[in-house]
Amino acid sequence: MLNTFDDLIKQAQQMGAKNKVAVVMGADSEVIEACREAYEKNMVIPIFIDNVEKIKELGGDFEGAEIIEASSEVEAAKIGVELVTKNQAQMLMKGKIKTSTFLKAVVNKETGITGKNILSHILMFESDNKLRMVTDGGMIINPDLNQKISIIENAVSIFRNVGVEKPKVAVIGAVETVNPDMSATCDAALLSKSNDRHQIKNCIIDGPLALDNAVSEEAAKHKGIVSPVAGNADILLVPDIEAGNILGKSIIYFAKCECGGIIAGAKAPVIMLSRADTSKTKLNSIALAIVASKRGDI
Amino acid sequence: MIKSMDDVKRKACTGRKRILSVAVAQDAEVLLAVNDAAKNNIVEPLLVGDKEKIEEIAKKHNIDVSSWEIQDVKVDAEAALQAVKNVSSGKADMIMKGLVSTGTFLKAVLNKEFGLRTGSLLSHVAVIESENYHKLLAVTDAAMNIAPDLAAKMDIVKNSVKVMRALGVELPKVACIGAVETVNPDMPATIDAAILSKMNERKQITDCVVDGPLALDNAVSEEAAKHKGIVSPVAGQADILLLPDIEAGNVLYKALVFIAKVKLAAIIVGAKAPIVLTSRADSDETKLNSIALAAACVIE
Repeated sequence: MLNTFDDLIKQAQQMGAKNKVAVVMGADSEVIEACREAYEKNMVIPIFIDNVEKIKELGGDFEGAEIIEASSEVEAAKIGVELVTKNQAQMLMKGKIKTSTFLKAVVNKETGITGKNILSHILMFESDNKLRMVTDGGMIINPDLNQKISIIENAVSIFRNVGVEKPKVAVIGAVETVNPDMSATCDAALLSKSNDRHQIKNCIIDGPLALDNAVSEEAAKHKGIVSPVAGNADILLVPDIEAGNILGKSIIYFAKCECGGIIAGAKAPVIMLSRADTSKTKLNSIALAIVASKRGDI
Repeated sequence: MIKSMDDVKRKACTGRKRILSVAVAQDAEVLLAVNDAAKNNIVEPLLVGDKEKIEEIAKKHNIDVSSWEIQDVKVDAEAALQAVKNVSSGKADMIMKGLVSTGTFLKAVLNKEFGLRTGSLLSHVAVIESENYHKLLAVTDAAMNIAPDLAAKMDIVKNSVKVMRALGVELPKVACIGAVETVNPDMPATIDAAILSKMNERKQITDCVVDGPLALDNAVSEEAAKHKGIVSPVAGQADILLLPDIEAGNVLYKALVFIAKVKLAAIIVGAKAPIVLTSRADSDETKLNSIALAAACVIE
């Protein structure tokens, strides 16, 4: 089982030499740098898709890297997605391209790489020698029940690749009891029950649970909570993007945990690095994507 | 400048010693916390509850209550009301909840005749000390108001501003937190944030600088704000984080306590006096800090 990002990186290195990442609009110095580091660590082979001259100018023509010419953002995105469809790349990375243009190609009905689930953002963090996920703090604003099911399924799929056969999902609310005035707690109850009835598979879902109940056995005991997930949650499903974004940022800025993020729900993991990410965070995200692509059942 | 929980405790000890009225004091954990605060010269306890039970618990836990005033009131609701009257009559400066349900306690606090109502909503304020932030930071509202509308958020802001001013911050910077820093009609948190900012500009909300929407990183990190090209008097310098609702507020509060392991004090404000409502789950340190914070917030 993988407990830290170092574990993920080691695992990625064991698999990595065969994995390729299609980097859409890769003529971006920070993206090239991140990919070079990952390549040098034997994690992945990048395929930079952009104006060839620009790629070369920024040092993207290092030994081992592949380059494909594209003269527009739309073209680059199309090529990147096609490489994934043909299994010539196992991951997709966003370079210097507008997010909306990039994602439009990913979700395109005819040529895209999404399945029945929506795209969702996953933040993985490492705390007390354990890896956990927060989802979704970045993609879906106010998920309804069905979207929450998709978000769970996406996260579970990836966590199984991290080595946990039946991940524990805590559906987070402000309190651990069901309150009709708090829709997050009602959704939590519905998701738990759906899981009981095998409608959501390959995981154990419980909620509502306040964050402390989800990550601390002691806190859960204090409240007399009887739950298979309390204290041991692998996946923290947040009520909405606000709570998710805030939780994720507090983990990064206040707890200073090691983090990595990907977009899940497509046929291959999608990496969207941020300029604000440290180089370690970028490497973590790439490692997570590689390990996530293992089974190919994203 | 008050930069730490130790500073807050020091402030609490300056001037006249605050009198803490405890509602239904026959609770071991509460008595231990009160004793801790008394030993640290932060408060003078005034206990209300079942005198016999109080003395029994005190004996069991080696707490010397001989010099404390104990008002013998055996019925919970009556004890709560008496504890409240102590404050409204001016006998005590602040109030703490003991072995009584939050509902009964707050009912007494809001009693129409003897209670501590002001025109404002009550709200929960948590003040944190983090090694990853350069000053104290208030987080509100993680526990009281479920889905505050704009008017409620105004009260929540005003209440938290009073707390930070009591801690010596003349013009607290309030960051209205959202998932993004731009106004998005599909995200009510960002709409409220923008409206509150404008109201502050028009001096409708005073004694503070309000800006939003700001994502959490923009609020606490100048670098993150710069990355996004944000021009804001609050970015990277927030004294107060206004959270969109209780879900986000609670998640942040719990992440700060359980994952970031910050030092913390929390009180309920908006009444005529600060209210201490500690939880069994709070550490001893947090309970002491909370009593100290309440004492520091008592306005003469």
